[in-house]
Amino acid sequence: CKKELVDINKNPNATQNPQPDYLLTAAIKNTADTYWGTANNMDASLLFVQYWAKIQYTDPDRYIYSNTSFQDLWGIGYSKSIVNLNKIISLADAQANPNYKGVALVLRSWVFTLLTDQYGDIPYKQATNIEQYLTPAYDKQRDVYFALLDDLKAAEADLDPKGKAIAGDLIYGASANNITQWKKFANSLRLRIALRISDREPDKARQVLADVQTEGSGYINSNADIAELVYLDSPNQNPISNLFDTRDDYRISKTIVDKLVELKDPRLPIYASPTKDATPQTYVGIPNGLLVGDASNLGFTKTSKPGVYFLAPHAPAVIISYAEVLFDQAEAVARGLITGNAADLYNQAVTASLNQYGITESTTVNTYLAQASVKYDASNYKKSIGNQKWIALFGQGLEAFAEWRRLDYPQLTPAVAGTLNGKIPVRFIYPGTEQSLNGASYKAAITDQGPDLLTTKLWFDVN
Amino acid sequence: QSLAISGVVTAKSDGSPLAGVTINDVTNSSTVIANAEGKFTINAHIGDLLKVTYIGFETQEITIKENTTSLQIILQDGQNSLNEVVVTALNISKEKKTLGYSVQGLKAKDIAEAKETNLVNALTGKIAGVNVTSSQGDMGSSRIVIRGETSIAGDNQPLFVVDGIPVDNSQLLGNAGSRDFANAIADINAEDIESLTVLKGPNAAALYGSRAAHGVILIKTKTGKGAKGFGVTINSNTSFSNLLGLPKYQNEFGQGSDGKFSYVDGKGGGVNDGVDESWGPPLDGRLIPQFNSNGVAVPFIAHPDNVRSFFKTGVAVNNGVSLAGSGDKYDFRLGYNNLHQTGVIPNSEQGKNSFILNATYKLTPKLTLSTVANYIKDDASHIPGSGGKRSTSTMLEFTWFGRQVDVTQLKNYLDANGNTFNWNNSYYSNPYWLAYQNTVGQTKNRFIGNIELNYKIIDGLSANFRTGTDYYNDRRKIRIAYGTNGTPFGSYEEDGYDVSETNTEGRLQYTKKLNSDFSVDALLGGNIRVNSYEENDQKAPKLAVSGLYTLSNSRDPLISSNVYSKYKVYSYFASGQVGFRDYAFLNVTARNDWSSTLPKANLSYFYPSVNGSLILSQALDIKSDVLSYLKIRGGWSKVGNDTQPYKLLNTYDFTAPFGTNPQQSANSTDLNPNLKPETTTSAEAGLEINFFDDRIRLDASVYNTNSINQILSVNVSQTTGYTQKLINGGTINNKGLEIVLGLTPVKLKDFKWDINVNYSRNHSKVVSLDPEGRLQSYLLGSDGTVQVLAAVGKPYGSIYGTTFERNANGQLIISADGTPAVNPTNQYLGKYTPDWLGSISNSFTYKGINLSVLIDAHVRGSIYSGTNATGTYTGILASTLPGRGAANGGLTYTTGTTVNHDGMIFDGVNADGSKNTTVISAQSYYKALTNADAPFVYNATYIKLREIKLGYTIPQQWAKAIGFQAASIAAVGRNLLIIHKNAPNIDPETAFNTGNGQGLEDLTLPTVRNIGFNINLKF
Repeated sequence: CKKELVDINKNPNATQNPQPDYLLTAAIKNTADTYWGTANNMDASLLFVQYWAKIQYTDPDRYIYSNTSFQDLWGIGYSKSIVNLNKIISLADAQANPNYKGVALVLRSWVFTLLTDQYGDIPYKQATNIEQYLTPAYDKQRDVYFALLDDLKAAEADLDPKGKAIAGDLIYGASANNITQWKKFANSLRLRIALRISDREPDKARQVLADVQTEGSGYINSNADIAELVYLDSPNQNPISNLFDTRDDYRISKTIVDKLVELKDPRLPIYASPTKDATPQTYVGIPNGLLVGDASNLGFTKTSKPGVYFLAPHAPAVIISYAEVLFDQAEAVARGLITGNAADLYNQAVTASLNQYGITESTTVNTYLAQASVKYDASNYKKSIGNQKWIALFGQGLEAFAEWRRLDYPQLTPAVAGTLNGKIPVRFIYPGTEQSLNGASYKAAITDQGPDLLTTKLWFDVN
Repeated sequence: QSLAISGVVTAKSDGSPLAGVTINDVTNSSTVIANAEGKFTINAHIGDLLKVTYIGFETQEITIKENTTSLQIILQDGQNSLNEVVVTALNISKEKKTLGYSVQGLKAKDIAEAKETNLVNALTGKIAGVNVTSSQGDMGSSRIVIRGETSIAGDNQPLFVVDGIPVDNSQLLGNAGSRDFANAIADINAEDIESLTVLKGPNAAALYGSRAAHGVILIKTKTGKGAKGFGVTINSNTSFSNLLGLPKYQNEFGQGSDGKFSYVDGKGGGVNDGVDESWGPPLDGRLIPQFNSNGVAVPFIAHPDNVRSFFKTGVAVNNGVSLAGSGDKYDFRLGYNNLHQTGVIPNSEQGKNSFILNATYKLTPKLTLSTVANYIKDDASHIPGSGGKRSTSTMLEFTWFGRQVDVTQLKNYLDANGNTFNWNNSYYSNPYWLAYQNTVGQTKNRFIGNIELNYKIIDGLSANFRTGTDYYNDRRKIRIAYGTNGTPFGSYEEDGYDVSETNTEGRLQYTKKLNSDFSVDALLGGNIRVNSYEENDQKAPKLAVSGLYTLSNSRDPLISSNVYSKYKVYSYFASGQVGFRDYAFLNVTARNDWSSTLPKANLSYFYPSVNGSLILSQALDIKSDVLSYLKIRGGWSKVGNDTQPYKLLNTYDFTAPFGTNPQQSANSTDLNPNLKPETTTSAEAGLEINFFDDRIRLDASVYNTNSINQILSVNVSQTTGYTQKLINGGTINNKGLEIVLGLTPVKLKDFKWDINVNYSRNHSKVVSLDPEGRLQSYLLGSDGTVQVLAAVGKPYGSIYGTTFERNANGQLIISADGTPAVNPTNQYLGKYTPDWLGSISNSFTYKGINLSVLIDAHVRGSIYSGTNATGTYTGILASTLPGRGAANGGLTYTTGTTVNHDGMIFDGVNADGSKNTTVISAQSYYKALTNADAPFVYNATYIKLREIKLGYTIPQQWAKAIGFQAASIAAVGRNLLIIHKNAPNIDPETAFNTGNGQGLEDLTLPTVRNIGFNINLKF
């Protein structure tokens, strides 16, 4: 009877054999949804960097969070993204298809970057190895970034445009030279991380960029190479589009509207929607962090939602843009990490951003670049790059949040009715489940890094 | 010299003949049974001792005299300690005195008169050690736990067995979200129950195997045995329910924020008109445009009954008829019952039709065939929504509310243009719209039946074969209407479940009195159990057109899912009882299971039990006017347990494709190919002692239960790549004491007063979670930041949440903005399990009149109240009045040029240790109070007037005069009053569902009180 019983217990509902292409699709989709979704983007980082503001239920905009608020990035990051990307890596080895391995490593490095950028110390070495580590220890942020740089170097080497094809690639899948694009994506992430650590570890940053130079595959070098997930119709629509279908909680922030107006920035009509009721200014942002009543009293029809470009079902979730890579290179030059012309790269970066939003008319672009307030200021590269990169990263809340912390530009005024004694959050707090389920490791991380508060500065964030 | 003696047995109470009475000639060990007319014939010798026994009657002993030719035996109704018979495992009736464990039961009348639509509620306060938590409203589920939670992760509810067949009591919550579907045992019709017996610990239940570790509730349905010819019984019960209580609301301030409000469109177009809170202007009649005034400024006034007036009186009507009959060779009972219930929420409605046939036929003198077939059809057009989900919940909307809103104005939920009309349009739909448009229907067809053959091989040895099944299908239709706030396109979902369990069992039973000292009772059997479960859900996530609820009326691709599972267990079991001189008994049982759910190497597991009883009063021949009965008992048992199907190998699940790309992800639970069966061992000792001719009856039990190797799907840090891991670990200990005290202070010819007291306490401790000791807590449930945990070293069901920071002197530490700082680390705030449970029932009988009053208490334990937390945040509760305005003691302060009178100061110290003097508005004060969970965790103690029952049985001669055999009427009130409670604004006896994550209340429906009337007529 034992055999009969064993046969009965064969699971008819799911398979024990995954396929790398299907895993890849799910990992990209799950990560992008979280990255672009409510908890990390709309209800947190987009508010911190004052792209968006809340007109209803303003608690998040006033920095009122609990230890469940930031569960999403952590949970999805580890248990939906990284674990499945690791499975792709092991399948790639078994099937001798290093391109899957390279792609999975690039994506995994991106997810780890998102995690450490927001929380600081995180499990890396002992993460997602449940048979050995039931309570993974946290690695210091420095060690995480260093390890990711190694992983990306390995990924760049694994990726071979002449090797076996991959499927299930939602990022570059449509392109014939997708593996080449993945190599550029890998290098662009290395550039991003090199700058992230550049205040602390300039030598390491310099070394990484020299390696990329030597390897020769280069960075993302056109808007066609932007790493992004382009969404489809419902139910696979963009998370922001999905939310705006049923909710009306957000407006564009007064901070960015004022800045775009000041710069006569042609991106204003793309970033913001005109007010529903005609107003003298057409585009009206609301201040961040108002009390509930004060926010809604500004009028739902007299203030601007984000632009339709961002509210469309097919709107992309941008992971890393060409403009960002150019800003990064400009900064690397300014810091002396690589050679080149910083002002030139800066102008290219602003141009790439304008082009990204369809603003290609050369007089428009040149007029914009010619303004004194836009021009590259070599004496304060952080200010020039910080302000323009902030405008270019609109929508990419998590990356903008990290860069604002690192560059300290633009100089933002905290939420009107903020609850952090005049401060803006500089990290996410760890999910409460870590306290109950991984308590000893959690406590060790707090000891290393400082109290588990929104205002505790992370290692990379020097000033 | 052998005499052929004939006789007839009748009942003393009404003189009716008693069928099935056993007449045992003790002297020469022969037995006959009285026929349907109570007649019998027996061959006996002069001087023989006849023992006449019948369940529910006192045993009589008769010595055959020289001139005896016929006997008129009149049996006295009622039981005493020496003859009480109880139903035990495998549906075998045994004399209670022979058992080494604690058993308590309820009789038909107790269950049927105090009719509850959920059978489980009928047990509340009536059995020591049983903890019943009914959920919410008047249609939901009820959770029952016996002797504490012995499983960390599994279902802790007892196994239900109807007529020897295990039946399902799961609660299929499904995808309907925040609907409290009744647990499956609620299907059983109370009127059909003859007796209900609670076997409390694993000691009592070792023979049922795995699932009996949490106790067993045995239900025996009524039969036609003893009916004279044909008898017809009609029963009618009508009960009314209304709210037992609502939160105490404030009626001084209306909707809005910072004291300001003016309505334009209800979604932010006016002043704070999208705000769903009551921090608005005072309700002093000032003129303000409101939701129902078309822009005209009208008086802003209180409507104190605005929440209550939404609810209505629920009515449940139960009508049943049954036909019973018996003859020499057969007996049968055929019953039909119809229930129709409308709930306290408008439009909520459910109905039930049940048919039952219980029949026995003697095919040959040795071979008896019996069968029970029970068909139940549930039909609910609308099951009300419960917790905090905006498309369905009533109390969510009333807790985020404007206190000025006149709910009666919302009854017409559409305006002249056909648009939904509500007081708030930013978040809610009209509550009547939710009730009438967003309905959840349920239909369920259930069949419970068995066929049993019993063959008497030789005197004392019989063979029995039984096969039975419990099958139901459950179909749900979940509608969210087009235009519902938050779901503009609506949705439609159909969920279907097919659940079945089949048990086939054969056994040999041998009963023999070996000699004048020893008797044996032995049993050997085997069982095959097959469970299957199938679920198929289809959802149209966005409707294409309004008002049409079909799956094809969809804008988006359908969301589909299905699950199928099957599970099989083979078992052998044996039990034996040796009796010595009718006062000492030793019982042993043994069982081996082979379960399909465990890995090949571990799928067979064996477990034994042993228990004994000694009736000291007989053994030592104590004949005293004071001590009438003394029994000691004790036992030890072990129960093995398996797990759910498919828990061994990790899988990768598919989700809906992205375009043409399929998506596959690792399941979030890391499974375990090396699972071992889990084991519960329990030791129990008890004492039964009666005084003064059983006028004082004390039954006390102590027990100690250890559950080890528990199969736990533990929550793990998500950094492991999984959210849960299945482990064999977990040790939990439960210790407890139960006391049942019965008193009969007055017993006169026509008047009797009985008191019954139940007391039980259970202390649990989670000893460990995993063998390596790496895991410190297991998450049972959560609500926001509040977590209910099985935490190592703590009692099961500990509540953890955030607290405010305090200094060494216990003073609050106040931040610069004047609000208390929150400690980001969750702290232990209490446990949901009570320290003890108690009940006292007083019953008075005068001739045919019976009055009983039951009070029960649930002492200590904690509950987190979401109603209090949310209601404090939104300013709807009366508890948020202090400080709101000068009249309520508010301090005066200025902001800019405005002078305010609603200032409050948190009592605490600043970071530098100086006293806090920062004045903040009352609105900020109360909102800040909700930043921590601790202020909303309350002592869950309650004492309830659970039941008052007044019954009258019309004297037989009167009944006969008007053409009935018997007639009785009763009036019953249930949940009449909360005599005492500590938690404000809620009934602390509340739950979302029947799972282990209790101790959380989150905007659940108010509990109800019931008043009902019962008429029972026999023809």
